[in-house]
Amino acid sequence: MIIVKDLHKTFENNHVLKGVSYHVHQGEKIVIVGPSGSGKSTFLRCLNLLETPTSGEIWFDGQLITDEKVNIDRIRQHMGMVFQNFNLFNNHTIMDNITLAPVKLKLMSKEEASEKALTLLDRVGLKEKADAYPSQLSGGQKQRIAIVRSLAMNPRVMLFDEPTSALDPEMVGEVLAVMKELAETGMTMVVVTHEMGFAREVGTKVLFMDEGRIMEENTPAEFFANPQCDRLKEFLSKVL
Amino acid sequence: MLSSFSQKDMIEGEHMQEWFDSVGKKFVLAFVEGDRWKLYFKGLGVTLEIALFAAILGMVIGTVVALMRLSQKRNGKKTIWARIAGVYVDIIRGTPSVLQLLIMWFIVMKNSQNGVLVASLSFGINSGAYVSEIVRAGILAVDKGQSEAGRSLGLSKAQTMIYIVIPQAIKNVLPPIGNEFIVLLKETAIVGYVSLTDLTRAANQITSRTYEAFMPLIGAAVIYFTVIKILTILLDKLERRLRKSDNR
Repeated sequence: MIIVKDLHKTFENNHVLKGVSYHVHQGEKIVIVGPSGSGKSTFLRCLNLLETPTSGEIWFDGQLITDEKVNIDRIRQHMGMVFQNFNLFNNHTIMDNITLAPVKLKLMSKEEASEKALTLLDRVGLKEKADAYPSQLSGGQKQRIAIVRSLAMNPRVMLFDEPTSALDPEMVGEVLAVMKELAETGMTMVVVTHEMGFAREVGTKVLFMDEGRIMEENTPAEFFANPQCDRLKEFLSKVL
Repeated sequence: MLSSFSQKDMIEGEHMQEWFDSVGKKFVLAFVEGDRWKLYFKGLGVTLEIALFAAILGMVIGTVVALMRLSQKRNGKKTIWARIAGVYVDIIRGTPSVLQLLIMWFIVMKNSQNGVLVASLSFGINSGAYVSEIVRAGILAVDKGQSEAGRSLGLSKAQTMIYIVIPQAIKNVLPPIGNEFIVLLKETAIVGYVSLTDLTRAANQITSRTYEAFMPLIGAAVIYFTVIKILTILLDKLERRLRKSDNR
């Protein structure tokens, strides 16, 4: 579904991604872990071209999206993204946050979008917050809304960029629960996270990134039980 | 002892009386005689007319120029539009507004008989440079995550600007924009240079006709102050209304 070939990304003089290649298949839940500065967030942000790769190819559903002629806005409609800092639109109510994109992009009528939003809000238990503003919500609530906002676009794949890193500890659970539920619906997911429990439980594959490369890739059970490279062993000994 | 006190009081009282009389006469001379009060209001009309047109023009130019300056190529480099806008801002900020007005009046639009139009254009173009910097700062102050979230949902650059970034930027820029309006309103006092009779020039003309400076000049100052105070109150109200959505 997503094929990445020899991806490089350089910021000024900082070579962040040094040749990443990977193939995400439909329905997989790829969890990416690694120390900070390893390039995992940059890799994720390259997938929907929030960062423009310096070189390399990214294919999405058989289309080369790194090609300059591709209308990236159309591609992004099918790739949901959830950010570390939620990034709900502060000037809109929760309902408008969710319906804005589908309505303005003429994918749904206002009524359809509202109906869909209410169904999704109900699923994450936040139906009564529809008319609230983001500033009135807790971090956990904001992140659940952010997930709903992405889902309202009916994406083919969901990208999560450290979705629980900015949350108070007691709110991490509620967000992970929503993500787990989403995984059970068969959604294709790529998740950058520090939550090893989530990686073990939900991931179909776990990737270890360090110094701009994918150093190791394995099923969760093998990944945690039999780490191969030394860097991963060291990393796991610190985080587990 | 007692009598000398009362004598002094009487003399002071006479002085007071004289002073009041002379103030009254000066007031009549400056405002009432020959219906001079009309001249102030005519002048104020010219001042407000120029300021209003210039403010509107400045807002339009300022917003367009700010967006031009923020435009980027896909590789993050400045576009040609960004460069042009940068030159405009540099030139306007680097020259005195009196000079810009004189250049507009005597060179660029020397065939125009409509002084108010020339002054409005000149001030509008001038104000646009300052407004563009305010708007640019206001847009940059909106968290980058807001536009990233918009783009990640498939909204175009323009849609993200219109529905997400600019509404939030307006809240940021309102106080400095209000300030710019006030500066602009007072700056129009230089249109006397191109023989327009605004409030300041009206007061000046009355001064030279009556050989009496105090009343006309202080009077004009009070009128400016009152207009700007009203403007300030209105801007405060608007700001408070816009802030309603972020009750934390």
